[in-house]
Amino acid sequence: MTRLVTWLARATAVLGGLVLVLLIVLTTLSIAGRSLSKLFHTDFAQSAFGGLSNWAINAGVGEINGSYELLEAGVAFAIFSFFPVCQLYAGHATVDVFTSALPQRALMVLRAFWEIVLSVTIVFLTWRLSDGMMRYVNNGETTLFLEFPVWWSYAASLAAATVASVTAVYCACARIAEVALSRAILPNDPMGK
Amino acid sequence: MEWFLDLLPLADLSRLELGFWSFPILLGLIFLRAPIGLAMLLCGFGGWYFAMNGNPTPLLAKLKSETYSTFSSYSLTIIPMFLLMGQFATLSGMSTALFKAAESFLGHRRGGVAMASVGACAGFGAICGSSLATAATMSRVALPELRRYGYSGGFSTATLAAGGTLGILIPPSVILVIYAIITEQNIAKLFLAAFLPGILAALGYVITISIYVRLYPDSAGTREPQPMSERWAALAETWPVLLIFGLVVGGIYAGWFTPTEGSAVGAAGTGLVALVSGNLNWAVFRNSLIGTAKTTAMIFFIVLGAGFYNGFLALSGVPQFMADYVLGQGFSPWMVLIIILVFYLVFGCVMDSLSMILLTVPIFFPVISVMDFGMTPEHVAIWFGILVLIVVEVGLITPPVGMNLFIINAMDRTTPITETYKAVMFFVGSDIVRVAILVAFPAITLFLIP
Amino acid sequence: QEVTLSLHQFLPAQANVPRLVLDVWADNVEKDSGGRIKVDRYPSMQLGGTPPELMDQAIDGVADVVWTVVGYTPGRYPSTEVFELPFMMTDARAASRAYWEMFETHMKDTEFKDVHILGTWVHGPGMIHANREVKVPADMEGLKIRGGSRLINNYLSELGATPVGMPVPAVSEGLSKGVIDGTTIPWEVTSALKVPELVKNHTEFEGKALYVLTFVLAMNKDRYEALPDDLKKVIDDNSGVEFSVFAGGTQADSDGPAREAAVALGNNIVTVPEEDAKAWREAAQPVYDAWIADMETKGIDGQALIDEATMLMEKYSQ
Ligand code: NA
Ligand code: NA
Repeated sequence: MTRLVTWLARATAVLGGLVLVLLIVLTTLSIAGRSLSKLFHTDFAQSAFGGLSNWAINAGVGEINGSYELLEAGVAFAIFSFFPVCQLYAGHATVDVFTSALPQRALMVLRAFWEIVLSVTIVFLTWRLSDGMMRYVNNGETTLFLEFPVWWSYAASLAAATVASVTAVYCACARIAEVALSRAILPNDPMGK
Repeated sequence: MEWFLDLLPLADLSRLELGFWSFPILLGLIFLRAPIGLAMLLCGFGGWYFAMNGNPTPLLAKLKSETYSTFSSYSLTIIPMFLLMGQFATLSGMSTALFKAAESFLGHRRGGVAMASVGACAGFGAICGSSLATAATMSRVALPELRRYGYSGGFSTATLAAGGTLGILIPPSVILVIYAIITEQNIAKLFLAAFLPGILAALGYVITISIYVRLYPDSAGTREPQPMSERWAALAETWPVLLIFGLVVGGIYAGWFTPTEGSAVGAAGTGLVALVSGNLNWAVFRNSLIGTAKTTAMIFFIVLGAGFYNGFLALSGVPQFMADYVLGQGFSPWMVLIIILVFYLVFGCVMDSLSMILLTVPIFFPVISVMDFGMTPEHVAIWFGILVLIVVEVGLITPPVGMNLFIINAMDRTTPITETYKAVMFFVGSDIVRVAILVAFPAITLFLIP
Repeated sequence: QEVTLSLHQFLPAQANVPRLVLDVWADNVEKDSGGRIKVDRYPSMQLGGTPPELMDQAIDGVADVVWTVVGYTPGRYPSTEVFELPFMMTDARAASRAYWEMFETHMKDTEFKDVHILGTWVHGPGMIHANREVKVPADMEGLKIRGGSRLINNYLSELGATPVGMPVPAVSEGLSKGVIDGTTIPWEVTSALKVPELVKNHTEFEGKALYVLTFVLAMNKDRYEALPDDLKKVIDDNSGVEFSVFAGGTQADSDGPAREAAVALGNNIVTVPEEDAKAWREAAQPVYDAWIADMETKGIDGQALIDEATMLMEKYSQ
């Protein structure tokens, strides 16, 4: 089970990461296209190699239309997909100073406690997100440029958030089991913190 | 729900009282080791619930879209991009090259390896706009080296935590982008203004290191100087960094792209260098994505919590109340400025920088912008922006809640965080001296502004 | 006081609309209620969320009253777009009056049934601000322009320009960097965005304006219903057609000083005369056709809305 959840969380993170890389490429291409199109429109380019310039302009060299909206929708999906590994490898920032003096056992209980609260919160947020998606399904709101329904991006994010919920609940159960069995169940991040 | 309300005295409080009560509760949760984002989120949930007199509908409705809209924020896309850039910089050997170059020139001095770490952080800060990414990236290279040369644990981690803040002090800078958006200022001008203060910061840290190693000679080792030829060779290895610096910063000033787009260009350039270097196979690529994922999720969970909590604080009227109070005292503009900066320093001890900027700039900026400092309003806005940048940057390294401290400490499990806390106070001291200088001489900040 | 209302919107407190319209509304409500209603003002999205979420915040009671641009939620309030079509309106007061009248007859119980609308208005004539002189439609070819709404973006495409999407605060930077060549906004907004310092050419139209945006001031329905009758009356007296005309008119009146500032800078202001505007209007025909077809899929008679809006605006312009 732990292996399955680990695989799922890592695969989701990689998928989100690939989307992020895609967005970086998209933005860079959009900038390159924009700069080239500006260049081809200059008087110098028109007179020096007008044919090529016009060909490039007509071929659609220029800013990628709506790249701004794709960036927003894509990065939201990516960030939701990043949550499962953060859960799995206990990546959330905490302040340990005031509890560092506690005995090991008490620390494990405290950790399990917050993991439970965290998982309830993430499930709660996912549930709210699904309601949000339904709102946009029903009201027909679209994006300004590409005019695709807003709920599409919500649906993608919801899928990732669902994986985050599953991971969070599993981690909470695992932390409780760790307290009960007094041994580690969840993996440590192989890359370190 | 009625019975639940009766049990809790919170239901009878006014919104302002709720706002003030939320501070100790938030701190209590954080000190009890609740994840910081979670603590803020819980306070936000409670705040909205009780401020609406126990009506859960607004809270539930707000959550329908706020998570999504926070994560899809255009201006915040630069955070994962800069973090990924940090991963690529490690893979491509860029961060190693930076450290080796700085180390070859400085390593033989007393505290020289620590100084070299600061230098390498400054170099990386020139292409990367995130302090966390800078701290994490350079630590991977510099931390093992520092320990190898016999530097004490706390001194090593404190140096890198402080050096990491150069990621936002030296442009490009995530925090300045956010400040510019809130205050509607020109981002490129703010970047220009941050340049000299950023250099000053690096110098200040180098001086701090030399003082520290004189006070605690045991905390640092030494090594033999390297021949000049090797130093220049090491410096030559850093050309990809210079290239990307030229592309990103040059592109922003030349008008090829906006600073937000610049983060994508920087990440693409660094990724390309990593690809060409031949170190990028699927396994390491996958790991760098997972590494980016973990840190990004951690930051965005805090951003989410901060946004939600800030909304409640605004509703409670606490920020307005405090601003009115300060203004009502009839202080001079300089006095108000100093109070605000001290406020940032104090709250920076327990709060996260990004949350603090988002929470307070909308309140303090209008106050400052109507005051007469003998400068044009635009200059005041830029100068104040740089001062705020520095004081919130200090928040990254002031105990007990400092994101850079957490990042570094998580990378070096052998050093107790209390050791880091002790050593980092020297760097905090250097930061405070720098703030005082920049307050006294606005010209340093405004020197490069047309 | 008995009732505290939160008023949430996206502009900073010192901007024209919050200062000259919303504050006036809120002050009047407070005064007329004899201090029994207090309006807490939250500018710059302080309560959280993004501008497109404002309407839902009013519907769900996150905020009690919101001011928002209807076009921020494309597709949800299609009928309001009749005023946003290119070359529809001439005068902000007449258009705001017509908008309120059509809101009451066509939109109140349909598109806006989930929320209590207090005012409906449009801003002054929207126009083109660009880094090169624009006189005829062909001058737009190849320009990258930030458009303000869905329909103006469609029109810009028809003209051969490239509509660029970016948030309003990014406009100044985009212009100064040449990331965009121009933007479509009314005069009133140009001073806050420093547009006359960044680009030197402004193109306005005699007669019908290039475009406008539609606004609403919206209140949570339950919150309104729950008010005692005398306080309901205070809200009612400060809302509706008179308030809408006041809001649209005030916003349009801010155009003058902003235009003078551009003149003082020595900028090139092109005023396209009625006869030359014909070519511009013909180029807008495909936008009209597409809009009417789009409305048909939503079960709305677009042509009838256009005719009614035109008729009402002409009536109120006299
Ligand atoms: Na930087
Ligand atoms: Na701190």
